Amino acid sequence: MGSPDPRPGGYLPAIVCVALLLFAHIVVASPDSPVAVDVGVVLASNEGTTMDPALSSIRNQLQSMFTYSSYRMVDRLSRTLNVGETGDFGLPGNRSMRVTPAPSEGTKVRLAVQIMEEDRNILTTTLGLKRGGMVLVGGPAYQKGVLILIISAE
Amino acid sequence: MIQDYIDGRLPPRPAGDVRDHLGACGPCAAEERDLRGVGELLRRWSAARVGEREPQLSALWTRVRAGIEERRKPWYVPALRRWFWVPAAAMVAVLTLLFYPSNGSRAPFHPNSFDVTVESIESDSATVALVDKGEGLPRVIWIIEHGKS
Repeated sequence: MGSPDPRPGGYLPAIVCVALLLFAHIVVASPDSPVAVDVGVVLASNEGTTMDPALSSIRNQLQSMFTYSSYRMVDRLSRTLNVGETGDFGLPGNRSMRVTPAPSEGTKVRLAVQIMEEDRNILTTTLGLKRGGMVLVGGPAYQKGVLILIISAE
Repeated sequence: MIQDYIDGRLPPRPAGDVRDHLGACGPCAAEERDLRGVGELLRRWSAARVGEREPQLSALWTRVRAGIEERRKPWYVPALRRWFWVPAAAMVAVLTLLFYPSNGSRAPFHPNSFDVTVESIESDSATVALVDKGEGLPRVIWIIEHGKS
């Protein structure tokens, strides 16, 4: 015979877990909380048919957007930055990228991104994306292909 | 009297008298044999019943012993055992939150959104294009370096 659990506090574990998750969400998603910037540096080319296992989760998106046959991740960089703090990311081919989280509202993240090649500015942009969102920046030539930067912010 | 003698319940002297009588009286000796036979049958039957019931008796004893052990433990031991997983789960959640963003350079990407707003875009030395192929696909900023791409 199934009968309701007469013990008081039988649902306590579930309540504690939900409270923890809510608290963690608030901590992580607070607008002024640090932003974890993750940059995957991918060399896309038509040399071979490599698909880096680290890119398997976005394989379909890459193959829908581009016509290269090979995608190899040559570097993976991450920094946790406070709003207003600038992080420098070294890129192949004497290039570098500077990322600065800007003030934002809600669960969005704003990133000021600047890509330099030696002393030349090749891109300056300000992006707004959701936490956990992703944007791609590509085109700079490298070796026998081009670089595609997978920029995500958490 | 014969049954008491068989069961060993008589003092030594009356027991000796009965033994002497059984040695001289045929009907009483026959009755003693019958009674001893019945006793033996009863012992065998009881042993067989115990063998049949042994698993149930063993389980009953296990439960009784567990109940006795449980009563001996301090009151907070069952509560600790019952709630132990809560702090353990909280610790795992906190560690995951703390270390997930830097959990290795080969971890796969798991974007939850491709919704990106490009507030401004410019370049001093290249042509830049914003490529948007629709929902479900990431937005791409494509840099066309003069004389390179």
